[in-house]
Amino acid sequence: MPDEKLDVLQGTLALMILKTLETMGPLHGYGIARRIEQTSGDLLSVNYGTLYPALLKLEQEGYIASAWGVSDNNRRAKYYRLTRAGRKQVQRETREWEQTTAILARFLAEEKS
Amino acid sequence: MRFLRAWFARLGELVFKQRRDVELAAEMESHLQMHIADGIRAGLAPEEARRQAMLTLGGVEQVKESYRDRRGFPVLEAGIQDLRFGLRLLRKNPGFTAVAVLTLALGIGANTAIFSVINAVLLKPLPFDQPDRLVKVYHTPPQASFPGIPTFSVSPANFLEWRAQSQAFEGMTAYGFRRFTLTGKGRPEAISVGLVNSGLFSLLRARPLIGRVILEDEDEPGRDHEVVLSYSFWLEHFGGDREIVGKNIELNAEPFTVVGVMKPGFDFPIVRNPNLRVQLWKPMAWTDRERAVRDIHNYLVVARLKDGVSLKQAQAELDGISSRLMQLYPRDDKGWGAIAIPLSQDIVGEIRPSLLILLGAVAFVLLIACANVANLLLARTLSRRKEIAIRAALGAGRGRLLQQVLSETLLLALAGGLLGLIFAHYGVELIVNYLAQRLPRSREIGLDGGVLAFTLGVSLVTGFAAGLLPALRLAKEESNQALKESPGQVASDAVGSRTRSVLVVSEVALSLMLLIGAGLLIRSLWALRSVNPGFDPHHVLAMGLSIPPTKFTGPAQQIRFFSDVLERVRTVPGVESAGLNDDLPLGDGSHEPILAEGWPVVPMSDLPEVDVRVISPGYLSAMHIPLLSGRDFDDSDAQGRAGAALISQSMAKQFWPNENAIGKHVTLYFYPQLTRVVVGIVADVKEDGLKQKRAAVELYFPLAQLSAPKGLEWQSFGMDMVIRTAQNPSSIAVALTEAVHGVDPEVVLLNVRTMDDLVSASLSPQRFTMLLLAVFAGLALLLATIGIYSAISYSVSRRTHEIGIRISLGASPADVLLLVLRQGMMLTAMGLVIGIITALVFSRLMATVVYDVKPSDPLTFVAVALLLACVAVVACYIPARRAMRLDAVVALRHE
Repeated sequence: MPDEKLDVLQGTLALMILKTLETMGPLHGYGIARRIEQTSGDLLSVNYGTLYPALLKLEQEGYIASAWGVSDNNRRAKYYRLTRAGRKQVQRETREWEQTTAILARFLAEEKS
Repeated sequence: MRFLRAWFARLGELVFKQRRDVELAAEMESHLQMHIADGIRAGLAPEEARRQAMLTLGGVEQVKESYRDRRGFPVLEAGIQDLRFGLRLLRKNPGFTAVAVLTLALGIGANTAIFSVINAVLLKPLPFDQPDRLVKVYHTPPQASFPGIPTFSVSPANFLEWRAQSQAFEGMTAYGFRRFTLTGKGRPEAISVGLVNSGLFSLLRARPLIGRVILEDEDEPGRDHEVVLSYSFWLEHFGGDREIVGKNIELNAEPFTVVGVMKPGFDFPIVRNPNLRVQLWKPMAWTDRERAVRDIHNYLVVARLKDGVSLKQAQAELDGISSRLMQLYPRDDKGWGAIAIPLSQDIVGEIRPSLLILLGAVAFVLLIACANVANLLLARTLSRRKEIAIRAALGAGRGRLLQQVLSETLLLALAGGLLGLIFAHYGVELIVNYLAQRLPRSREIGLDGGVLAFTLGVSLVTGFAAGLLPALRLAKEESNQALKESPGQVASDAVGSRTRSVLVVSEVALSLMLLIGAGLLIRSLWALRSVNPGFDPHHVLAMGLSIPPTKFTGPAQQIRFFSDVLERVRTVPGVESAGLNDDLPLGDGSHEPILAEGWPVVPMSDLPEVDVRVISPGYLSAMHIPLLSGRDFDDSDAQGRAGAALISQSMAKQFWPNENAIGKHVTLYFYPQLTRVVVGIVADVKEDGLKQKRAAVELYFPLAQLSAPKGLEWQSFGMDMVIRTAQNPSSIAVALTEAVHGVDPEVVLLNVRTMDDLVSASLSPQRFTMLLLAVFAGLALLLATIGIYSAISYSVSRRTHEIGIRISLGASPADVLLLVLRQGMMLTAMGLVIGIITALVFSRLMATVVYDVKPSDPLTFVAVALLLACVAVVACYIPARRAMRLDAVVALRHE
């Protein structure tokens, strides 16, 4: 099953993580991964080898913060939450992404016509 | 900004590395567990759920690895790791570490010590504003009268013309030295005074610490009783009294007003001889008559070039002025040119080649040290081949391996540098206290910031140089092969042994060159020591008797005073004979033109010049200067009697080659009122120093027939006394002092020392270079010996198996001995040949510092090569003997 899924497009993972945290609130790494997979309609698979470094990078840049907490089923897990800078970053990146997709869409439309 | 923030975060990670590793592991674990739980909830069996989870997650280690890469700075971390690993390795091999660090410390220490000397003497700019614009201006004397003397001091009238006519200089000023007696403050003391034109301080752009410098109108006769003190004189004699300005001090029993004190670093003129260091400055205040003197050259001149004027332009201008002066004043100035020399070159000129030779020498020592350490490392890295091959197999890149080896040698070199600094500290102390007294600016020698930076730089370069060879060697390694080998048995050592051979050969060559350099200098010093100075310095005490120049109103009083002193001194028990001379040999003296019987009467500048000395009866016998014919001076050579003179053998030969010189008449140009008759001929004495090559053309006349030079006022002057004693001359120094002070308590005794000391002090610069070079050559020899020894013993232990086979096949112990010796001696011989060829090229650079020895002196070359060969045999013999005594059975089992 996994080999049919797409890998996350380079550069989009960070935005996905940030958006997930914005809509879901604080979440642990596993939760983030599952949420991304579900949102994509199980079309995407999150490579854990890139998820955790990406989380670390965002944390180092100050967009997210982490703390240890307890999960639903009483298990210790590291929870990530959006910081104020992260919230702004989501808006900024969302705008950029929308622009990019709009431009691409126009290109693709031309090709077709 | 974000980027910077991330960087800081990553830097921080370096510190909390371990904690973050534990955290990551926990996070992964919780991730895994949640995944499994989800699987179970979805109805999978726990085992299957676990398997699925693991599959999705992928390799936990890979995740961790990429996480770590993001977290910190992998390169930096690896560096720290390498340093740690290196440190651990070094700690595990204390013997190796000690030898390597010590070797490097010796090399780096020697470099640091010599660099600190060079830094102070050659590199640091002179302590004046824009010192590169300052020049000394000298006369160039006519070569016919002054053969081999390139520069000469300057006469006042000529200096004034240069100053008035030249455009190239912002300023030009003359100065001189004089000894004054500091009186009115307890025991009289002789001090060195700089006589300066008022323009000197502004020319040097030197400002006083307190008070002011000398004003222009104070440079007039009669208004010149003002002085500026040096900082050290002010501290020593007035305890740094800030109220000193305006107070009087007494020089030669006359009052002088202190107008200022200079800053601590101000030192002018910068002199080689610490005894001459100027303690205070006084206006020159030439009288009109002194300003007109054109034929007596006894002042020094310093000038500052105008901005934009080159030395060449200034020289051209001086040449023009000189040739005009030659035409205007042919009687005095014919043949007298002028030359401008940069001040820094004037100060360090002579010592520069020696210092550069020493710098080259220590660089060689460091190279040898590097080669030794590289050799040791090579042996060790080869025994670590397997470990390194495993690392390579596990994915360590070539660069990573290089980095690891280099970081280890860098550690070694830094440790060596640190220890080297300690060595250098003591070395510099030794050099300053015992060897560098005659070096200009020796007070500035020390381990300062510049030197420390140099040491750090040298250490880093050394670390790379020593590590590069072994590191590259390793990186070439074929890991497959290394893995297959059993430890200790290495078949493919061909490359390693070739590298080692190259190192040994170059060590031998380098140390041979150093030894040859040292050998040449030792031979020179030896030659100098065996030069006959013309007198016998043993058991002779010398002292300067300094009297204020205005103390005696006429020559008669001075003559009486000195004869009283001699009479008193001769009664001191232990004194065999005593005499006086106005200038002791082996120093500077005065050259004077003379008119000699049978020689044409020509203008002064064409007259032959001779060394003229004023002596008393007893001088020749105290100095054991042989009287070859005629008679010595005696009491009959007095004022009002026929003038008498003694001349040296060379002078007799030069002036009256095929005649008897005794009975000939000579007249000193400056004392035309008295014609003197040659009464005796004495042996030549080296007046300039033992190195003197020019003929010793010397004339002595008796103190008792002294008069003022024609046309000048009488000025009394001090003399040097020499006393020959029966026992150790120093033992009666106190009694002699008392005897002199018994005649006149105001006389100041200067430089009381034995003539032996005087002779040896005159060789001080040569000894400085020779001793240091010998020490470095010795060091090089030691290091090269260790190098040969370790290379050969390493090779013997490598070849144990092979030697075992040879023995069991019937090789005798002698065969084995020869086998090993031949290997070592082949390398040594190659090193010797290369070294001799290079030394032949390089030793030419030493031509200026050797005396009476050809730079390609075959004796030195052969002796040094033999010495090195012998040492090499010993170094090879020890491992060879070990090989010889091998038990075949044990050797064959040896792995």
